[in-house]
Amino acid sequence: MSITLVSIYPTLLGTYGDGGNVMALQHRARLHGLEVDVVQVDPGDPVPEAADLYVLGGGEDSAQTAAASALRADGALKRAADNGAAVLAICAGYQLLGEYFPDSTSTPTPGLEILDIRTDRLPKRAVGELAATAKDPLDQILTGYENHAGATHLGPDATALGVVRSGIGNGDGSEGATAGHVIGTYLHGPCLARNPQIADLLLGWAAGTRLTFIEEPEVTQLREERLRTVLG
Amino acid sequence: MGRGEGMVIGGRVILRLAPDAISDLAGGRVAALVSATNGKTSTTRLLATAVEQAGPVISQHTGANMTSGVAVTLASGDPDATAVLEVDEAYLPAIFTATQPRVVLLGNLSRDQLDRMNEVAMVARRWRDMLGDAATTTVVANADDPSIVWAARHAPHVIWVAAGQVWTADSAVCLDCGALLHRDDRSWGCPNCGFARPEPQWTLQWAGDHGVVHGPDGGRYELHLRLPGRFNAANGALALVATVALGLDPAESARRMAGVESVSGRYAVIKVGELTIRLLLAKNPAGWSELVDVMPPAPTPVIVTINSNAADGRDPSWLWDVPFERLRGRVVVATGDRRRDLAVRLLHAGVEHVVIEDPYAPGAPLPPGMRDLDVVDCAATYTAFHHLRTSAEQS
Repeated sequence: MSITLVSIYPTLLGTYGDGGNVMALQHRARLHGLEVDVVQVDPGDPVPEAADLYVLGGGEDSAQTAAASALRADGALKRAADNGAAVLAICAGYQLLGEYFPDSTSTPTPGLEILDIRTDRLPKRAVGELAATAKDPLDQILTGYENHAGATHLGPDATALGVVRSGIGNGDGSEGATAGHVIGTYLHGPCLARNPQIADLLLGWAAGTRLTFIEEPEVTQLREERLRTVLG
Repeated sequence: MGRGEGMVIGGRVILRLAPDAISDLAGGRVAALVSATNGKTSTTRLLATAVEQAGPVISQHTGANMTSGVAVTLASGDPDATAVLEVDEAYLPAIFTATQPRVVLLGNLSRDQLDRMNEVAMVARRWRDMLGDAATTTVVANADDPSIVWAARHAPHVIWVAAGQVWTADSAVCLDCGALLHRDDRSWGCPNCGFARPEPQWTLQWAGDHGVVHGPDGGRYELHLRLPGRFNAANGALALVATVALGLDPAESARRMAGVESVSGRYAVIKVGELTIRLLLAKNPAGWSELVDVMPPAPTPVIVTINSNAADGRDPSWLWDVPFERLRGRVVVATGDRRRDLAVRLLHAGVEHVVIEDPYAPGAPLPPGMRDLDVVDCAATYTAFHHLRTSAEQS
């Protein structure tokens, strides 16, 4: 079984180590005996429409606006998501999956309308460890680091990824959003290195099969240490 | 309390007693301010050493490079001495205005401490505003870093130096129009709006173990620094050009800079517990990508120490931007407060590793062969670096 994974604009969206999500997906796929073919797409290149899994990271305001406008013009990511492809989007990438997000001057800027979310500004930037109780089908506590100024509001067609235990998340007590095979979140860390259950969920969607979770001691020890620090 | 902390507290007292202290103490004697994400301490030391050819120089000796560190440096020592000062990127605009330096040296900008520091574009914007009407200051700027060029290009007096840029991931996009910059081995430019690398007056050529700086009119200066690596040659090249801007002799500058042995503990060989280590400061991805080449090749084991105190940056996600894959074929000792983050990163990079809380304790389970090494390379983040350095000074 081979999965095609598209890393979208890592030159624009990847400021906070989010390239690690692609490494984590490759790593977890190897553990599960899946083959992954990684395609990196740079701005100006067409986004392949027939891939199984798409990954977007975080980035600065100007890069986020540039990425959103290029992806809207391209159109393939929206069509692929509508057709059931798996998508993981972090921070700025998460915001641009919605109806609109604020640009560097706080002006609402159109997003891709893949998730039923809208983002405006938090009164104060959210910087620090973030922990959230996950919702079904995930059952591990979500852990990561957030660094953003976005207040994200979910519409009826999106479900929160978790309930915040420590940190800010979406700004209303919830964290992230999911619908179908699409996951958006504020978790850096990188997200999938610290939350391998999400990596397995995405790989399962992409492969069309449910994967049995495989535990790795290094990762478990890191998660325990982080959650102990944040939740006591 | 380390000496650096004492300096900071002394500086705070000065600034509380006299809020305009920096401006008063500077009094037109600041020859140069040096700022960059990486290399500012080394560059400042190289430049200060070179400027001594014209007389006494005061400079920081501890890396205290924010407002209070600058105040106490100016307040101590010979009041008539010329000042060459290192300045934190975020504090540069305020200190620039207060000191009115003859030269400001801008080396590079990349991601670092994103929890505290603004993102790269924001720093570049604040520098650009600072330089807009800098009529009496000469900017010595790295033409190979697009963020530096963007910040400096409208300044009245700029000398461009092709000092090189290995880490390009934080300047992928045109700061004017958002298009992806085009790059080749020699140059860069925006295919959309025409923002481009300026023609450098000075160029650094790296000859494998030393730098050669080519100036206008065929001037050629060899930089045989004791500080290792191409990035220190880049620091030296920028410092050399800054001395030219100050009216000094570049050949004499090169000669003096060659004598600088170790800067604030960087590359210092010290004894910690049962090990003799060479201290390497590695605090962000750009610094790391240059440092890997300075380490001995595999299979020599090395120690990597990662902390996440305020001065290190609270978020070690940057470990995932470091090309740790290049350490494959050896065992890495992962230590520091965030050793578990490092272990997960090394796991994904396919690098064999052991997690040890204190590798210097007697009987620590070090990898085979490490105890037999004359010198073990130890790369550490800022606070870990200073902890090791101070403990060695005290023992």
